[in-house]
Amino acid sequence: MVVDVREYSPHDISSRRFWNQPFAVRDETFAQLRAAEGLSWHEPFPSLFPAEEPGFWALTRRADIVHASTHPELFSSAQGIALDPMPMEVQRIATFFLAMDPPQHTVYRRLISSAFTPRNIARIEEQIHKNAASVVDDLIGAGDVDFVSACSARLPMMTISEMLGVAPSDREAVAQAAEKLFSMSDDEYSTLEERAEATVNEMILLANTGIELAKFRRRHPGDDLMTSIVNAEVDGHRLTDEEVGAFLVLLASAGNDTTKQTTSHAMLALSANPAQRAWLTEDLEGRIGPAIEEFIRWATPVLQFARFVTQGTELAGQTLKAGDKVGLFYCSANRDENAFDQPHVFNLQRSPNPHLGFGGGGPHFCLGNQLARTELRNLFREMLTRLQRVEFGEPDYLMSNFVHGIKRLPAFVR
Amino acid sequence: MRVEVDLAKCTGHGICETIAEDVFEVQDDGRVHIHGNERPESDRARMQQAVTQCPAAALKLVD
Repeated sequence: MVVDVREYSPHDISSRRFWNQPFAVRDETFAQLRAAEGLSWHEPFPSLFPAEEPGFWALTRRADIVHASTHPELFSSAQGIALDPMPMEVQRIATFFLAMDPPQHTVYRRLISSAFTPRNIARIEEQIHKNAASVVDDLIGAGDVDFVSACSARLPMMTISEMLGVAPSDREAVAQAAEKLFSMSDDEYSTLEERAEATVNEMILLANTGIELAKFRRRHPGDDLMTSIVNAEVDGHRLTDEEVGAFLVLLASAGNDTTKQTTSHAMLALSANPAQRAWLTEDLEGRIGPAIEEFIRWATPVLQFARFVTQGTELAGQTLKAGDKVGLFYCSANRDENAFDQPHVFNLQRSPNPHLGFGGGGPHFCLGNQLARTELRNLFREMLTRLQRVEFGEPDYLMSNFVHGIKRLPAFVR
Repeated sequence: MRVEVDLAKCTGHGICETIAEDVFEVQDDGRVHIHGNERPESDRARMQQAVTQCPAAALKLVD
């Protein structure tokens, strides 16, 4: 057993300097942590808020992250899931039922899951297909574009807005607020002093949009997710307007940014690996399914989430105490040598592909996984069959310890 | 061979349904319904895949 020493690991994974490096360079450090014994203790992430924490344990191996994710009774979400220290009342606005444990989480999850069942996603696939086709219609022959705004950002925003019934005139504002919310670590978006205030402001803007939509749909029921959310009843419980608002903050970010980032990363990877692309297009229908799993592993749009230990336990030989914080580094799990053969190679034929792009399992496994796969399948099918040529310039990466993001991606499209 | 679900754990992800949509159906209340728990031996591989891939570990096979 590893002795419980609380000295900070010499491997820095907390500073802005560390996260300012490219994904592959960061993984050199994660690889050392994966290969070491036990777990490592790290300095807390920089915080926008006056919240002090002693540090966190880094979970970098796939197996350890799965263990924590599937044991919510030991690794709780109810005390917060942001790895950077953030007051719970702020987290609650943005994360809604992500920051809950069973059985409370189960009630909320079921209220919402009806819209995301495979059958209900299949029902909206035709709409998703039409939207994907229209995104690619606009791309054909477009010449010099920013690929992120001209393509990657569009389908997720259209899809989630239609599901929620966000009016077309409000969609851009909602998407921008969501993007800003998770880009607060990037200097471009605001100064350090303004960031904490701006974070809360963007959350409130999104939450208020959700509250307005909820009120509207209570009076005027429609055929959308928002209507089923306000009408849903599980165990005699209905969502309040404020809860619907918090859910919109979550959906606008989780449902927008993730698929958008995966699209950009996967297009770049296909462009850098023409043999992989050729293999995929040889039998697009037969190969797009497994290819998308590799897109998601490769992109890992969500880098990490946190949990708090509820009672004394042991993980990887390390004794953990109640109240300890742990960071679940999905970015590291998706490059774990013990789970993936040649993890740093983009390989569309990878099978099985047990990536943690949707989380480590357990109750918080991504609710939108089928929706994301459906969006990616339709968009890539359209792009790979209809675009003659796409050439990329240098991507402008987002400085973030939470989202693996590309802000801008210059492209020439024919 | 029987496939069984623990409804206290099931959160309706529907991964099982994407593997065997004739057997598993997530209802609108977010719980999975199994159409015929008794499975023929020829269906074992598919059922095992559904059990293994369930993110909530809510499914099991009973011989």
